[in-house]
Amino acid sequence: MAIETSKGIIGKPVPRPKRPASTQAFVPEILKGMRVTMRHFFRNTKEVALDQRPDPTMASLDEGITTVSYPEQKRPYPERFRGLHRLTLREDGSPRCVACLCCSTACPAQCIHIVPAEYPEGDKRRGYERFPDQFVIDELRCIFCGFCVEACPCDAIRMDTGQHAAPYDSRDQFIFKKNLLMAAKARDGSRKSQNPRHEPGDPTHPGVDRDHSH
Amino acid sequence: MDGYFFLFTGLKILVVLLFAINTAALLTWGERRQSAMIQDRIGPNRAVIFLPGMVLKVLVVLLGAAAAGALGSYGWIASKRSEPVRLDVGFTLTELAVLLGWMGVLAVRRSQRKKGEGLFFRSIPDARWVFYAGLTLHVLVVALRMNVTGDERGGFALAVFHVIGPVLAPALVAAAALFTLMSIPSGKVGIRLGGMLHALADGAKMAFKEDFIPPNADRLLHSLGPLIALFPAFVVFAVIPFGDTVCIHPDSTGHFWADLFNGRIGSMFNGSYSPYVSRYGICSEGAVPLQVANLNVGILYMFAMAGTGIIGAAIAGWSSDNKFSLLGGLRASSQMVSYEVALGLSLVGAFMTYGSVRFDDMVRWQSENAWGIFVQPLAFFLFLAASIAENKRVPFDAPEGESEIVAGYYLEYSGFKFGMFMFGEYIELAISSAVLVTVFFGGFALPFLHRDGITIELGETVYYHLALSHRLVILLGVIAFFGKTWITCWAQLFIRWTIPRFRYDQIMKLGWRFLLPCALVNIVVTGVVLLVIDGAGPALGRTLDVLADASQGIVLLLGVAAFIALGSGILAPPRRHGRAVSSSATFAEAAGGTPTSPMQA
Repeated sequence: MAIETSKGIIGKPVPRPKRPASTQAFVPEILKGMRVTMRHFFRNTKEVALDQRPDPTMASLDEGITTVSYPEQKRPYPERFRGLHRLTLREDGSPRCVACLCCSTACPAQCIHIVPAEYPEGDKRRGYERFPDQFVIDELRCIFCGFCVEACPCDAIRMDTGQHAAPYDSRDQFIFKKNLLMAAKARDGSRKSQNPRHEPGDPTHPGVDRDHSH
Repeated sequence: MDGYFFLFTGLKILVVLLFAINTAALLTWGERRQSAMIQDRIGPNRAVIFLPGMVLKVLVVLLGAAAAGALGSYGWIASKRSEPVRLDVGFTLTELAVLLGWMGVLAVRRSQRKKGEGLFFRSIPDARWVFYAGLTLHVLVVALRMNVTGDERGGFALAVFHVIGPVLAPALVAAAALFTLMSIPSGKVGIRLGGMLHALADGAKMAFKEDFIPPNADRLLHSLGPLIALFPAFVVFAVIPFGDTVCIHPDSTGHFWADLFNGRIGSMFNGSYSPYVSRYGICSEGAVPLQVANLNVGILYMFAMAGTGIIGAAIAGWSSDNKFSLLGGLRASSQMVSYEVALGLSLVGAFMTYGSVRFDDMVRWQSENAWGIFVQPLAFFLFLAASIAENKRVPFDAPEGESEIVAGYYLEYSGFKFGMFMFGEYIELAISSAVLVTVFFGGFALPFLHRDGITIELGETVYYHLALSHRLVILLGVIAFFGKTWITCWAQLFIRWTIPRFRYDQIMKLGWRFLLPCALVNIVVTGVVLLVIDGAGPALGRTLDVLADASQGIVLLLGVAAFIALGSGILAPPRRHGRAVSSSATFAEAAGGTPTSPMQA
């Protein structure tokens, strides 16, 4: 900072930017600027009109419009991308979930709510395992950490739908109930899990308890 | 002041109004889309109308049949007319056929490239070859036309212009319609018109928005402001000629009411005018200037009217009961006062050169000599800067500078009144472009095209002369004027998206301490040069004539070069440098690219 005193200027004088006549005339500078804007305009207009835009994911650092035009274009997610949850199904179409509450216990965001229920009298599974009467996930609270999937002993909850949460109109729409979670498909279109399940009564089933083998 | 006067004036007002309104609407769309393209964005294109593919197919069939039928009957009617008219129509249709031909080959090749197979795709490795071949064919057709004198019977040239062109053009239109028909998918098709529907939807939204008037505002003046801002923008177009003077020779009494009574009005539009006119001098009877009002004050009327528009901004700023609005209105008025001086004085040099303040005289002078940008280059830049400042556009948009005074004088406006301000701004842009074109870019004049046809000359030496029918010359002139105006509008939009806003004191400094002295210097220099030219002998006059014609040649060459550069640039294969290494890029590569559903941006 230059301070003027009786002894003259103290301190380092700030160098003024050089403005040669070509800059002062302004017109050449404007033309230079317009060259840049026109280059972008012509290239982008051409590529949009002829459908030649660079791939927004693969060539995201290339010149041109590399914005992902959602929803027409969707970024391909990695294979193990943690998307919206789904409840996997058994062969008979009922949920694999046995309502053990491991997932809701593991959930750091506490966004899973399960109301367990007993199977009706006479069902083979009664007394052996329960089923979720209600299974609710608040996808707006979910932090997509995947702990629920890790915690599940039955491979009943998975995050392999490959879908992210869409922007819905209201918060209520983010509260996914059991039916919705069961309707969701994996990326290969399946509602089941790759791991086989042995139902009580199956020959491969180890037995409902130590005393009753089959 | 007979019926013809009212009929033609009404028609001219219609043309000018339609041009102004449509240009303003296009500019509203163009500005947003263009800014997006400059900034590597897609821009607003979400508004879409879904039409069943069947409706589109029927539409394409009807339009294609109508166009092909119109072209076919046009050629058929022309074949009954005199030889020159027939030749001109045949020439136009042949050029159209060539155009449709190479564009059709490109379209077919494009669709084949998507499939990865097909005759054109395999035999033409580079799309630019088609473009160059098409250009060569265009030139060949022109050369063929140059060799026809109009007296010969038979021969290849006449076969082309009498038979092949008039038959091929409608046939190719029909083929293009068929090709479009086949490429329309069944099921619903989203129509976006390149984002134009988005601008349309925004306009409709504006009309239905709440019209808010601040409680303490002056209700009358608040409503009057946008009207006053919009009205002068429209009326300035009245003095701008959008085409050369048409000569009409009614085969009739020449009196409108008598002609109407005898049922001869229609014959006037059916080509009962003389096919040729002379280069100099306007026809003595039946002259219809393509200009709503040919005022003897010419451009002074424009200054008066354009200056009135600012009253709207000032009134709006004052009546809104808002400090920011008031500041904006004040800035607008002071800026107008400052730049109106430079605006007027910058053109004085041009008046001195052209020897007239009437727009049509200016265009005639430029057509016979050189375009204004060559004789008054300094005035062009001064006028451009001053007219941008007059329109309150970037970089002179301090009156609405949103970072300082929110929105300036139209801060308290909403709904349609705000829309009127915005619309007025775009119409003013169109007007200033039209004035720039008329004063500096030859208006409706094209290089070497005169009232009697094409005359390529350098000074006294005439290299080539081709008589063109009056109808074609007028049509070319009108197309040239509107085309030039659009190109100038487009360039002005670029200025807006390139330059940052000036500070308010910089605006004032530029106006008073740079533009004004420069304009004065320009006047003095122009005066001295004119005196020197007048005083010098005829030798200097001849040299200037050669230079003037050379400048017309330069314009022609630049235009052709720009067209070729544009065409080959569009058809050049896109350049890709490489791909970003990221996890999503890797997954996209494995998936064969980003999945994309059909979209029309």
